[in-house]
Amino acid sequence: MDEKDLIRKAQKGDTLALAKLLQQNYSFVVKYLMKVTLHPQIAEDLTQETMMRCIEKIHLYNGDSKFSSWLITIATNLFIDQQRKKKREKKWVEQEQALRKMKWNAANRNEEWTDVIDVLAQINVDIRMPIVLKHYYGYTYEEIGKMMGIAEGTVKSRVSNGLKSVRKGLAEREGE
Amino acid sequence: MLEDKDELTAKQLFDGLEKLDQWNPVSTPNLQWFQQNIELEKKRIRKKQWKDLLTFISVAVCVLSVLIAVVYRQPIIFLYFQLVGIILLPLAFYKTRKKVSKE
Repeated sequence: MDEKDLIRKAQKGDTLALAKLLQQNYSFVVKYLMKVTLHPQIAEDLTQETMMRCIEKIHLYNGDSKFSSWLITIATNLFIDQQRKKKREKKWVEQEQALRKMKWNAANRNEEWTDVIDVLAQINVDIRMPIVLKHYYGYTYEEIGKMMGIAEGTVKSRVSNGLKSVRKGLAEREGE
Repeated sequence: MLEDKDELTAKQLFDGLEKLDQWNPVSTPNLQWFQQNIELEKKRIRKKQWKDLLTFISVAVCVLSVLIAVVYRQPIIFLYFQLVGIILLPLAFYKTRKKVSKE
């Protein structure tokens, strides 16, 4: 059964179809959230919240975008809301702890940590998200704008400035 | 088109994010876990909808009871309310319009 059939059945209330749909997209959402949050635990929690929101709103999905993109939109908005509620110090502490844990995971696999993740972690989430969506997932500026609820021009400038910040951050680290 | 510098940075970003996936493998729960959660969530949504509906009906009944009581006992107060409403309505519309045109 292809995705369209599953979506149609899920919208009619078929639990099994919805379960299959969510299962197929689960890892995609976790991986996306991992890249924008840079925090595995928050990524897992937000993925479950995204799934719950999808169960509630599945009847509103109109097929204009890919189902995975629709899920990413939900996840993005949940993350933005969560970030607004958290205090800056708490966010910083959480991010540092997560980075330490990820570095430890990398070391356990005998792999060298990459500086670009540290640099990305220092960039504001509002800029980090469009960078990941553009340069990792390949979405257009227009699609990203729709996902984040901002103008296309704003996305362009955030991505461009973000890339400059990443380059600067990497150069500083290389110079150290 | 991206500049060469940007392209290089984008490539470094892509590679770094790819590695992140390798270091943090995702384990997808089984189908039953999803089914159970969907059932639970659907139950919660139904419960919430009933609660909202009951709240709405209770408020509506309260407002209507007060209105009926006022109309039967003191019709003049009801007429005053209507008059105040007619005066305030254009003001409310004017404010909303102003807000919309500003956005």
